[in-house]
Amino acid sequence: MPPIIEISGLRKTYRRSFRQPHHALDGLDLEVAAGQVHGFLGPNGSGKTTTLRALLGLIRVDGGTMRVFGEEVPHRLPQVVSRIGAVVESPQFFKHFSGRLTLQLLAESAGLPKERVEAVLEQVGLREAAKASVKGYSLGMRQRLAVAQALLKQPQLLILDEPANGLDPAGIHHMRELLQWLAHEQGVTVVVSSHLLSEVQQLCDSMTIVSRGRRIVDGSVADIIAGHSGASLSVRVPDAGALPEAAEALKTAKAGVGAVVERDRLVVTGAPEPAWVTQTLAESGIYLSELVTQTKNLESVFLELTGTAPQPGQTVQIGQSVAVPQAAAQSAPAGAPIEAPVNAAPESGPEAEEAQR
Amino acid sequence: MNLFKAELRRIARRRLTLVFGILLLAGVAGLSIIMASISTKGPSEADLAAAQAQADEWNEQNPDFRDCVEDESYFEQNPNYSWVETDPEYEGMEHREACEYFVGGSRAQDYIWTYTFSFEDEAPFVIIGIVVVTGLVMMMLSSSAIGAEWSSGGMSNLMVWHPNRMRLWGTKLGAALTACAAAVVVLAVLAFGLLLAAAALRGEIGDLDGPWWEETLTYVLRTGVLALGMTVLGASLAMLGRHTAIAGGVIAGYLIIGDLIVQMVSMNLSMKFPERLSLYTWVGAWITGRVELQDWSSMTLESAGDVMVITWGEAGLLLGGIVLLFGVLATWSFQRRDAA
Repeated sequence: MPPIIEISGLRKTYRRSFRQPHHALDGLDLEVAAGQVHGFLGPNGSGKTTTLRALLGLIRVDGGTMRVFGEEVPHRLPQVVSRIGAVVESPQFFKHFSGRLTLQLLAESAGLPKERVEAVLEQVGLREAAKASVKGYSLGMRQRLAVAQALLKQPQLLILDEPANGLDPAGIHHMRELLQWLAHEQGVTVVVSSHLLSEVQQLCDSMTIVSRGRRIVDGSVADIIAGHSGASLSVRVPDAGALPEAAEALKTAKAGVGAVVERDRLVVTGAPEPAWVTQTLAESGIYLSELVTQTKNLESVFLELTGTAPQPGQTVQIGQSVAVPQAAAQSAPAGAPIEAPVNAAPESGPEAEEAQR
Repeated sequence: MNLFKAELRRIARRRLTLVFGILLLAGVAGLSIIMASISTKGPSEADLAAAQAQADEWNEQNPDFRDCVEDESYFEQNPNYSWVETDPEYEGMEHREACEYFVGGSRAQDYIWTYTFSFEDEAPFVIIGIVVVTGLVMMMLSSSAIGAEWSSGGMSNLMVWHPNRMRLWGTKLGAALTACAAAVVVLAVLAFGLLLAAAALRGEIGDLDGPWWEETLTYVLRTGVLALGMTVLGASLAMLGRHTAIAGGVIAGYLIIGDLIVQMVSMNLSMKFPERLSLYTWVGAWITGRVELQDWSSMTLESAGDVMVITWGEAGLLLGGIVLLFGVLATWSFQRRDAA
């Protein structure tokens, strides 16, 4: 089955007088398969929202191609827009209208039956608050209204920018179940841009991570995390004073093995397998009290891949993420990260400024 | 059609629309009530008698007038008034009337004030005024509708639903023009009816013959077109500035300093007909059909000076050109610029 979304070499540069141009998108590639919940991740100012806005025809791009349902957009967007539901950026509505009227006007404008309004209000849990004007809504309620708006059309592709933003824990749980039900039971393709990485890890089947307008990695969430885990072991011994001796034993036993003492434990890298550590230390007369394979979560993988892991005494600046070489970005296989240096030069531009605000 | 209906509903449901709608309806009703309350069909017998008594009392204290009334040959014998009998106004006057007119005697009407609302003479101008105000209000409402959608993020939402920007903009303009036309028709008809009732009750209707209808309808129709143009202008300015305040600022700025600029130019430049720099002049020509501007600097004892005539056709070209220019700029801007 062809991908629902295909983006290739997308470029967008913001030019302003007396300032350096800002390359918000620098040859970005993205593919989203049908019937999946796809996470679209990246640090602030990495081009996520710009990509979604370009996909929906809100901004013009300077290069690259985009296809949705096989149709080239934005030229053919009017032909496929009835199959797309979207919320881009923070949900904003006309504050004096009620939630119900907001949805009714949109439904009426697209010739949708009135019953859809009540159905989506029920679906997002806004039935009781539908009569109130939007100005009295909390951020979470506005978020629910935005998702309701995106669901009105019963879309086959749902694009949501930060859908969990402002939601309470019950709301996040409900949203996760709703999106997974839509994708796995109804066959809706869901694209979610989010910074809540634990949520993405639970919610998404696949994901793409971008940095500075280019793709760093894509693939299934499980594969990407697995590809960056399991390389280190945490070792504890009954006598913490024996840890330096244990480290020395491991390092001398096999070339390429690393062992570092961290407080009351030893972190071992490059070991062929856990059993080898047990055997090597036992042969040196050191017996283990604990041996744990360290698994990474999405957050640590994300920070590692994007080069935005905080350093003691330093603040990570907007735009201070890995710069992916163009050739590397194009040739990277799914799930394989691109090794690239961290460029500490902060970027400027509309998206970066927006993120700073 | 669905989008058009939704846009009309969006305009109708706005709070500002409701507030201005109520204010306009109340204004028309209030104006009619004021007209009816200050208009009378003529003074009562008692009012006339009281005024005559006051006039007589004043005349008694005026020796010149008293002498004039008592002496039929007053003008002939008094060298100060010898010119009176040669004045064309004198011909056919009774002697007392001539004394009141030339010597300055008081008359009953000097002590009584009556106003009779004449529908035939005054209603067209009142209705035109109401349509102009409606146009101004619609200009504000259309700019506010577009500006508020940009600043609230509603425009981006709508563009996600309707990515064909030209169709979206055209529909929004169409809805605003429809709302304006409906408001003009409703308020003009309401004003006509209420003023006619006021004239029937407390004033005089006059002769509403064929030429009256033709002239009045022409004036009102042209003013209605002006209101539509103002609506397009307001929406276009808001589309260009993407904020109500920008459109409002441009409009208010011109309304406030437009004439000031004309006066400054006319004072500092030796320019003929500086009034032609003011849009008010062209608007006046459009509504009334013709405006004559006088060049006072070229006026001599022998010559009346140069005159510039602006017809409604010329005014229509200029005003239409301005609306078209901003409309095209707004369309280009909406089509080309990113939705921030």
